[in-house]
Amino acid sequence: MKAAVAVALLTAFAWFLLRAESQAAVALLLGVGVVAGVLAPRLRMGGGSERLAHGLAFAALLVLAALLREDDFSLLLIARILIVIVACLGLNVQFGYAGVVNFAGASFFGVGGYTAAVLSRSTGMPHLLVLVAGGAAAGLIGTLLLLPVLRTRGHYAALVTIAFALLLRTFLEVNDTLGGPQGLKLPELRVGPLRFNEPVGLGAFEGSFYLRYVALALLVLVLAFAVVQRLERSFAGIALDAVRLDETAAASFGLDVAWWKIAAFTLGNFVTGVAGALSAFMIGFIAPNNYNFAESLIFVSILLLGGIGNPWGLSLATAIVVLLPEKLQVIQEYRFLLFAAMVILILLFRPAGLLPRPMRRLGQVR
Amino acid sequence: MSASLVAQYVMNGAMLGMMYALVAVGFTLFFGVLDVIQFAHGDVVAAGAFAGLLAWAGLSAAGVTSPALLLVAVLLAAALATALLGALVGRFIVLPIKGAPQLNVLLVTLMAGTVLREAIRLFYPGGSQPQRFPALLPSSGWNFGAFHLRLDNVILLAAGALMIVGTHLFITRTRLGLAIRAVAQDEETARTMGIDFRRVVLVTFALGSVLAAFAGVMDGLYYNEVFFGMGLLLGVIGFAAAILGGLGNLYGAIVGGFLFAALQTVGAVALPFASAYKDVFAFGVVIVLMAIRPTGLIGERVSERV
Amino acid sequence: MRLAAAALTVALSFAASAKETVRIAFVGPLTGGNSAIGLGGRNSADLAVRLRNADAKAKYHYELVVLDDECKPDAGVQMATRAGSDRTIVAGVTHYCSVVAMATVDTWHRFGVPVIVWGAVLPDITYANDFKEIHRVNGTMINQNEANARLVTGQGYKKFAVIHDTTDYGKGHDKYFTQFVKQDGGQIVGDFGVTADQQDFTAELTQIKALNPEVLYFGGLTPIGVRVRAQMDKLGLKAQFDGTSGIVNDDFIKALGPLAEGVLAFREGAPAEKLPGGKQFLADYQKQAYANPPEAYGPFAYAAAVLLMDAIEKTGPDRKKIVAQLAPAHVKGVESIVGQISFDEHGQNTVPAISKYVVQDGKWVLWEDSEYAAGKRKLAGK
Repeated sequence: MKAAVAVALLTAFAWFLLRAESQAAVALLLGVGVVAGVLAPRLRMGGGSERLAHGLAFAALLVLAALLREDDFSLLLIARILIVIVACLGLNVQFGYAGVVNFAGASFFGVGGYTAAVLSRSTGMPHLLVLVAGGAAAGLIGTLLLLPVLRTRGHYAALVTIAFALLLRTFLEVNDTLGGPQGLKLPELRVGPLRFNEPVGLGAFEGSFYLRYVALALLVLVLAFAVVQRLERSFAGIALDAVRLDETAAASFGLDVAWWKIAAFTLGNFVTGVAGALSAFMIGFIAPNNYNFAESLIFVSILLLGGIGNPWGLSLATAIVVLLPEKLQVIQEYRFLLFAAMVILILLFRPAGLLPRPMRRLGQVR
Repeated sequence: MSASLVAQYVMNGAMLGMMYALVAVGFTLFFGVLDVIQFAHGDVVAAGAFAGLLAWAGLSAAGVTSPALLLVAVLLAAALATALLGALVGRFIVLPIKGAPQLNVLLVTLMAGTVLREAIRLFYPGGSQPQRFPALLPSSGWNFGAFHLRLDNVILLAAGALMIVGTHLFITRTRLGLAIRAVAQDEETARTMGIDFRRVVLVTFALGSVLAAFAGVMDGLYYNEVFFGMGLLLGVIGFAAAILGGLGNLYGAIVGGFLFAALQTVGAVALPFASAYKDVFAFGVVIVLMAIRPTGLIGERVSERV
Repeated sequence: MRLAAAALTVALSFAASAKETVRIAFVGPLTGGNSAIGLGGRNSADLAVRLRNADAKAKYHYELVVLDDECKPDAGVQMATRAGSDRTIVAGVTHYCSVVAMATVDTWHRFGVPVIVWGAVLPDITYANDFKEIHRVNGTMINQNEANARLVTGQGYKKFAVIHDTTDYGKGHDKYFTQFVKQDGGQIVGDFGVTADQQDFTAELTQIKALNPEVLYFGGLTPIGVRVRAQMDKLGLKAQFDGTSGIVNDDFIKALGPLAEGVLAFREGAPAEKLPGGKQFLADYQKQAYANPPEAYGPFAYAAAVLLMDAIEKTGPDRKKIVAQLAPAHVKGVESIVGQISFDEHGQNTVPAISKYVVQDGKWVLWEDSEYAAGKRKLAGK
């Protein structure tokens, strides 16, 4: 019951925030949000089963989308938040579970997008398959990138991913087959009879075409969430944790450290790639500059702010990081500075993040 | 390809190599002393260049015109700014989380670098655009066929070499240098021997950053331009060069810097694709080399607690 | 007396606020290397809106929504999406950077927003599609390069090297300039593509120096134009620097100082003072005391805004109706400060005049008025 009330309040808050036009209203709502955020742990609004939480969140999003069905921009924001959550879930598998740092998150996001663009423009592949192909391409390239530095220390992987992040952009810009600096345009996303660029009209129910994207993004998110949670709760999750916490101990227990790292890295990039492909379809356009190093750092910031390893924390952090600069225009310019500074503070004073990952209760492994 | 053309390319490469070497030496010093990757280093370079630019702008506005005086002022301002920034980063950002996993330090310094970079972009007037850096060195030159040897390039190279030699002498001949080497070798024993750990760390950060200041000013003088993002690629290249030579090894860093510049030049000139691929090519080779010899060409000084 | 004045002001403001507010978007590069031009365009559009709002006969009250595309296609698409998905924005004065304009045509079309381009010169923006929403008041790069080629070959130059950026903009310039120079009997000894944010040109310039050209033609924008010119000097390359509309702004001269002397450049349209409505425009602009000058394309942004507002006055704030009102049949010989505007079936205005410029003593001076044309100063290598 308490959970339902909490979710209802949260949905209402989100609706108000998205609809807010004036900066004063936004600032006021944010103030309320911060106060609520500080008070929430005290009031113990959480609790209840996990299934309930998932169901309520899902329902809340549906209600929000229905309420905002005419508002193109708010739906666009919601869809973007959902897609970024999916991308960060992938990064979470790499960094939060396996401890493999990836500073090229946005680049793998971009690989998915570019794969989607090239495939949808030049082949007749069904678009759902194109999404999967985007993920596969990202996974494959990630594997190739990490392979040479698998058996080395952490900072080598860091260097390799940073270099990849910086250079992918240069590579794409010089390459005319991939559109060069002015990017590529994507055709309309089609799934069966559904055309994603047409406005939604079901009898009296009229809505923006972004509704379909929200629906699809929600679906992908549910899938990704399920996969990642299953992974975490299985033996694979325990193995990844062991690898992250102490490689030497894990190796002496017979875990093939290199294999687990690569597996996590590939899976993570796959998820991120799928998100990237979907995002590319939604915007209808991609350019090398979308996927630069600063964006990758934003992804990393989301992970660190939300709490490494906690998907719910991640979701909250994504909502904050995506929504805040859009609504509070004054910080739009400063968002990189702001989020980097926040991450420094978090790492110095509260390294576990906003919603720390709960301790694993081994007795309840299913 | 005439000999003079080759000479021109060698000169271009040498200039880049010197800049990378200076930045790489900083990385390697930080790693040697604290086992940390100070990823804000590249952006400290940029900050130094901008500090120098500010000094120049201020003095010019005040009516000073002598290039020698302006140059000294620019260098001083850059060195002071970077030493201060380096020490601050060391004191407030790196030292507090020294015990944490190395990755956290990398992250925190990466973010600190971002803060610096964005601060320059946002708060320096017109910061998002490239800024013209004054030409403070004599611009005369000699022509040998296709090779145009400029006096200012020669001066920059000589000065860079002097700084490296100076650093080497400092580390090997002074007491403070001895302290630094002791801490790099074994922190606990050095502390029990009475070496002030904090002081050594801060001096190392300051020293590495001052080298960076020189690299920044050199970059500005060479291209006649600075912009807020110049530290990012420079930092990554410096880091790669330091790894290539072996982290913790001073000479390795220098070799790595020049090697990277050589790879870039070869990539730009000898290969059939556009010169924009030179970075991709150079990094590709570096990654392959790292896979073959992970401890670096000359050898990384690593001690790991099991 | 004072009370009466106050009462009158209140009454007037009520009357003013009785008008419906109509929002128009302005999109241009307000930050980054081309910001001078973007800000000039913004100020000019703002001027048009202010003057219209001060006109009591206007049916609506106009609000200019200013968006920054940073001269980056992704940011441009983001801004276009934002403006398009905001149902209160009914039209747009859009884009200086060709790359951005090319990227956003689909987005504007998808949302059905009528837009008039004010500064992008790539022909494809209007000619490569059949979208009824896209129009342009300034000219394309074809005429610009034709005049360019004619002047430089007329000066006796025979050997040309080309550096262009690898965007469609740079490649377009390369294509047209090469075509016209060859037509006029010149020879292209080398052609190099560079990225739009490249820092180091020593590789390309060293190779060009070995080819010994008389003229270095540059097809790109100010940020890299500045670098190429500066590094040319560092390598001792003494060719004549010849550029396009992308470098005709004060930032180019400011960044290079004495190195900018003698640089040639071309753009379509006449300078503001020589335009039919130019003097009045400049006078009004001065009165508003903006921090930046209108630069080369300000008048076009002004004319675009005026055209949009005129259409809105006739049809009301409805995107579809405005698009219909801007169809070629309705826009023929419309008077504006940049001359007569007529849209062809692709929404493109034909602008016959090309202005030739040379940098003299730290200013862009019309070629005909310069000491170079009079023979008192010499271009490089002459």
